[in-house]
Amino acid sequence: MSYLYGGKILRVDLTHGDIKIVPTERYASKYVGGRGTNARMLYETIDGKTDPLGPDNIVAFGSGPLTGTTFPGCSRTDVMCKSPVTNLIGNCSFGGDWSAELKNAGWDHVVLEGRSPHPVYVYIRNDKVEIRDARPYWGLPNYEAQAAIREDLGNPNYKIVSIGPGGENQVTFASVHSNIGNSGSRTGNGAVMGSKNCKAIVVRGTQGIAVADPDAFLEACAEAHMHIRGTDAYAEYHEIGLLADELAYVRCGIECGGDAHETAPSFDDKFNYSDFWKRYGYKRTGCTGCPVHCMEAYNVPGIGATIISCELYPQLGAELRNYDERFWYYVVMQCHKQGLDNTSVATILQWLMTLWELGIIDESITDGYRMEWGNREAIEGTFWNIVNRKGFGNVLAKGMKAAADYMDAKIPLEKRGGKSTYYHAMQVNNNPMYGIVGRFHGQALAYSVGRRSDLISDLDMSEFLIVSAPVYPIWDDATKKAYTEAEQAEALRLGGTPEAADPDGYKGKAALVHDMGMTIGLPDTVGTCKWHTKFLYMYIDAPHYAKALTAGLGRTVEPEELVNASLRMRNLERALECKMGRRRDNDTIPEKEFDKKVSHGYWKGKLGTSREGLERMKSEYYLIRGWDLATGIPYRETLLEYGLDDVAADLASLGILPERPEWLSTQAMKEPSLAHILMDEEEKRQREAAKAPVEKEEKHTSEADKATTA
Amino acid sequence: MADTSVADASMKIVRDEGREWVPEYGRLLVEPEKCTGCRTCELFCSLRNFGEVNPARARIHVVRSQEDNIITTVPVVCQQCEDPLCMAMCPAGALSRNLETNAVVVDHDKCLGCRTCVQVCPFGAPSVDPRTGKSEKCDLCGGEPVCVKFCSQEALKFVTAEEESMTRKRDMVDKYVEHLRAASSGGTI
Repeated sequence: MSYLYGGKILRVDLTHGDIKIVPTERYASKYVGGRGTNARMLYETIDGKTDPLGPDNIVAFGSGPLTGTTFPGCSRTDVMCKSPVTNLIGNCSFGGDWSAELKNAGWDHVVLEGRSPHPVYVYIRNDKVEIRDARPYWGLPNYEAQAAIREDLGNPNYKIVSIGPGGENQVTFASVHSNIGNSGSRTGNGAVMGSKNCKAIVVRGTQGIAVADPDAFLEACAEAHMHIRGTDAYAEYHEIGLLADELAYVRCGIECGGDAHETAPSFDDKFNYSDFWKRYGYKRTGCTGCPVHCMEAYNVPGIGATIISCELYPQLGAELRNYDERFWYYVVMQCHKQGLDNTSVATILQWLMTLWELGIIDESITDGYRMEWGNREAIEGTFWNIVNRKGFGNVLAKGMKAAADYMDAKIPLEKRGGKSTYYHAMQVNNNPMYGIVGRFHGQALAYSVGRRSDLISDLDMSEFLIVSAPVYPIWDDATKKAYTEAEQAEALRLGGTPEAADPDGYKGKAALVHDMGMTIGLPDTVGTCKWHTKFLYMYIDAPHYAKALTAGLGRTVEPEELVNASLRMRNLERALECKMGRRRDNDTIPEKEFDKKVSHGYWKGKLGTSREGLERMKSEYYLIRGWDLATGIPYRETLLEYGLDDVAADLASLGILPERPEWLSTQAMKEPSLAHILMDEEEKRQREAAKAPVEKEEKHTSEADKATTA
Repeated sequence: MADTSVADASMKIVRDEGREWVPEYGRLLVEPEKCTGCRTCELFCSLRNFGEVNPARARIHVVRSQEDNIITTVPVVCQQCEDPLCMAMCPAGALSRNLETNAVVVDHDKCLGCRTCVQVCPFGAPSVDPRTGKSEKCDLCGGEPVCVKFCSQEALKFVTAEEESMTRKRDMVDKYVEHLRAASSGGTI
């Protein structure tokens, strides 16, 4: 038995009812596990032609070497497939207790392939794997289905990840859900699971996880636990979760996208999450092995009980100007139960309300609902129509682009102001944006280059703190000043220029976004929670993971090895996305968002991201990543540097592999803080080249020669 | 003390060891309402005691109820009873009192794996190890319970008998003081 790993990957062929066992070692040495191994398995399976909802797609559920161990935050499951929302990589993760159980059953990953002829669930009890009839549970909401399966199995210790009716009906933005409140959302992984007729994966494991040096491993984990418990952020999240964060973001106008807050009056005091928690919260809770307990458990009389954390607060509340707290709670809970991504639901409804306000749509489009801001009947009716794929809801279930095409065909161009309804959709690559607007420069870059138009893949957390500190609810002035100054110093260190720490600046932001992307790749591969990193200011970093892995695996793991694996994974993902058609042009924010000032809260009338500014940040980002400035595809040299030789050969055979020009410095890859200087030089070079077209042509010829010889 | 045959038997064994009751013995205090159900205690318990991470082998179990989706989690662990039924009923005499720590401990060489201790314990605290088939129960980690160290909610505490009896009383008084202060300042504090 291999240390820390279960050692086996379970591949379930639902078409033929077969199972196959693949050794984890095939991937682990290069990709560590979790998101890394998932990405590699996805690369080997899909391409641009794969139908996301067809049998050729896969859904991979993955844990990492530290999942299920004593390392803090050991609970994450990474879920990957080709997304029916973006037609690119669909990646989400969820916490809870599922993957820890999977590891204890001796498995690192479960991959669903093919399509079952009738609804089934996958049953795993240690080495015993069965594909079982799920027809009795088909149609049941997540909570009810999981309770029924557990009851029928006669053992409450089974851990289950399932889909709700949303996933069964293949609503493109359906989520997977584990236990109560643990959702893997945003990219339609639930819809893909539904397309395979797979209701759930049910796991019980009692085999344990072997550790090479238990004493040293315990010490490394103890150190990480105590490190987290010693941070200021822990003290806050442990007591009140993300309530203060959410309130701060609303106050400075970050939490709502597009026109949602353009014409809105102040949100302050209209929706007070803290009061809601005091009234209806009964318990703090969290995932397996986590000291933070960031989630709130609620029981609202007449509606029911559920668990809530993170972005659920503003999305279906403030963003829709839905100030009826009990109704907000009801919709959130139904998103869990029916298995839909609440962010997508909120952003789509916000889009419809914008179109309604602009007079572009009316009841003839919306099944008779008046899409006025905060209209309870419209929100609830449309939600259920999406879940059940009825009427206009059936159109919305296909995603924003399909819905825009439908509306454009029905509404004359002049009524649309000469534009497509898609112009008003807050989306990146058709993925409804997480509310936070692109008016904050670092976030605009993160949304553009990230993998799913939100802040979970790349992010500028320094900017977050700097812009939200002035309105942070629980800090006094001295605290605000101290945190802001500390974060500005960090931004200066990483970005290499004071502009990086300045919300009005563009230069140096790419280094911050890249650094966060690199950092959260670490927990994503080892299978722990990214919130414990600097992502939420708890600063677990590569050395902590390396120390635990060294003790647990019984071989020396250097922090650099893990950082390298994180970067390798990101380049692999990017290569796959480029293979499926993603280019520099796709890395953007909605056209409508350019040059818009913040329209609400503390930053009202300020900031806004310009097109040139975003392009400049993207160029710096590509420079740091080693991606082609023109296309955004990783250079051959970059892929080779991370040992992705076969990927390079693959892209070359498709004729899309760029060669790194000789004159292009690779310094930014080693020292991201210099990217802004190198980009200044590059822009100067381009300007000069534009002045002397003959010289430029010669250069191009020599590059082409080089490419041919290579 | 009630004169039941079971209690008698156990008391006899205890007294035969010549043990005296010492209030300073550390005791594991469980406050279920603070528990969030993270099971960190199970993870560290199994690592510390078996050299592997395996909640199924842990000597403490967080039992979860989620009737109507309302979560209740209760850490169940040996209370190191004064008159332990498990010790009295063990047909192999495999259970004994560790006089250093006051913990009731299992001698695995003597244990038959008959599960009597599991069945008679009023809490169901002992478990049968899925790997060895023998009885497993909390031995207080030799006097420094690892679960307590990593319970970030302080739902588990290691305290003396005196502290234990005062803990809940103090909690109640703290709430009372808070209420009085809020009332005197005319609002919440």
